Amino acid sequence: MTNYILALILGSAFGFSLNKVGLTKYHKVVNQFRFTDMSVLKFMMTALCVAMTGLYIFRALGWVTFPTVPATYIVGNLLGGLLFGVGMALTGY
Amino acid sequence: MNRVRTFITQENWSPYAAGIMLGIVGMLTVLLANALLGASGAFESLVGWIGKNISPSLFSNVYWGEIGGRALPIMRPEITWSVVLLVGVVFGGTVGALTSRTFKFRFNDDVQWKRIFGPQPWKRWVIGFFGAILLEYAAGIAGGCTSGLAISGGMLLAPAAFLFIGGMFASGIITALIVYRRRY
Repeated sequence: MTNYILALILGSAFGFSLNKVGLTKYHKVVNQFRFTDMSVLKFMMTALCVAMTGLYIFRALGWVTFPTVPATYIVGNLLGGLLFGVGMALTGY
Repeated sequence: MNRVRTFITQENWSPYAAGIMLGIVGMLTVLLANALLGASGAFESLVGWIGKNISPSLFSNVYWGEIGGRALPIMRPEITWSVVLLVGVVFGGTVGALTSRTFKFRFNDDVQWKRIFGPQPWKRWVIGFFGAILLEYAAGIAGGCTSGLAISGGMLLAPAAFLFIGGMFASGIITALIVYRRRY
């Protein structure tokens, strides 16, 4: 139950940040692929940097054990990414 | 206090500010719940859960973790963590739009879309429908979407995340080139 409440709160914060950066709009997503609006990349990479730094510091301090990361299967990951990009550039989701 | 208020009610935040917020959210997700910010698996779980309640025999197959198969924990046919997360995402997005007073039911009002594909809403719906099927299918192949694989996997330095980001940008750029041609 606590887990579900946590999921609701964290999900809300996630959705809020997505809305504020404009990823709910078609032109923001597609203009990233045209390199006329770099918000998507700035947003993603900032999030990655902040979370990476924090998480690896926490792990070094022994506060956290990492969950299982998504499995690596080179062809599948790449093929999925390639298909995903087509859908993303067409719909802007 | 007033400055905090003006910041929150802005429609477009600096992507760096929103990125820091998402980074903290991702960090807390691992720290407090020991989970990832997966979203695409939620649709599969939800469909599986509904299907199991309507027709258990049809949905008792390998994909949903029956008959010797083992479903990925994020895709179990039940109300999982990511389903609840998805509800939160929709709620948070709505709150975000309400704070900037841009909440509105839209069918097709993106200026750039209209310029490229024409003003008819049905085009947006058809391309959106089939594009979204492609997105969900691709996320199924890769093992996650932008949030669950690229961002959550990336912050744990999973190789899969970087393969996925590379593939996504390569084909995204090519698709945009084809769609926009000389207007690229």
